[in-house]
Amino acid sequence: MDIDLNTVHIFKTNIGKIDTGCAMYHELNNHDAIRQWSIDHEDIDCVLRVVSESLQPNQIITLISEFGHQCRELI
Amino acid sequence: MRVRDIDKEKLVIANAIDQIVQDGFQGFSMNKLAKACNISVGTLYIYYKDKDDLIQKIGATVALEFFSSTIQNFSPEMSFEEGLWIQWINRADFTMKYPKQVAFFEIIKHSPHGEIILNSTTKFSDFRMIMKQFIDNALHNKEISPMTFEAFWAVAYGPLYTLLNFHTDGKSMGGKPFVLTDTIMKEAFQATIKALKP
Repeated sequence: MDIDLNTVHIFKTNIGKIDTGCAMYHELNNHDAIRQWSIDHEDIDCVLRVVSESLQPNQIITLISEFGHQCRELI
Repeated sequence: MRVRDIDKEKLVIANAIDQIVQDGFQGFSMNKLAKACNISVGTLYIYYKDKDDLIQKIGATVALEFFSSTIQNFSPEMSFEEGLWIQWINRADFTMKYPKQVAFFEIIKHSPHGEIILNSTTKFSDFRMIMKQFIDNALHNKEISPMTFEAFWAVAYGPLYTLLNFHTDGKSMGGKPFVLTDTIMKEAFQATIKALKP
């Protein structure tokens, strides 16, 4: 099934590495409104990709910032 | 509101194939690809999670196109000689029409992505089943001698791929200019059939 492109949100971050035991990993994995997420650690911009029907980009930015990371939308 | 742009997707696929064939996986990056396509890197990430996801999705598309092309006008119920000849024609047509896709597919095949792609959809096992049935029929009808699968495959398709490689390079042994013709292909095919017969 093709994904609705409007539910995909892309961000430039400074999340170099993410420990599967850390709080942010747990939060992203268990967030009811997040269907899918991934971070491209190979990329210089550590691109975070979030698929969510209901979350707005600024809400995702706030969520990531709360864990002490920089995050801004890549358009 | 984002709308799926098929032309843009095609441009991304074509450029990714170009860059990977030219520079390999190591020299390939999402940023470079976005630049070549004149799109933002963000747009690229909307379609693909990361470099590996992109390689595997494009690889699966190319592999499906290739396998579908090999079974055009083909049925496993055909006589061995007729069926194998159609396979030769189909494989040769695809290679001549899409040399870059074939070069890309070769790179993928020899990488860890190969297996991931082949396991990504059951469609590939459907192709394997069709070929298995074709070979089983040929054995049952005593059109070919029983032999190890790999030995069979090497004899049945090896000559064709050697000729296609010469053709793609535009030269054969010792740099001799070469263009594959139907006559040469048929000549190699007859020898192949002879070699496989009981």
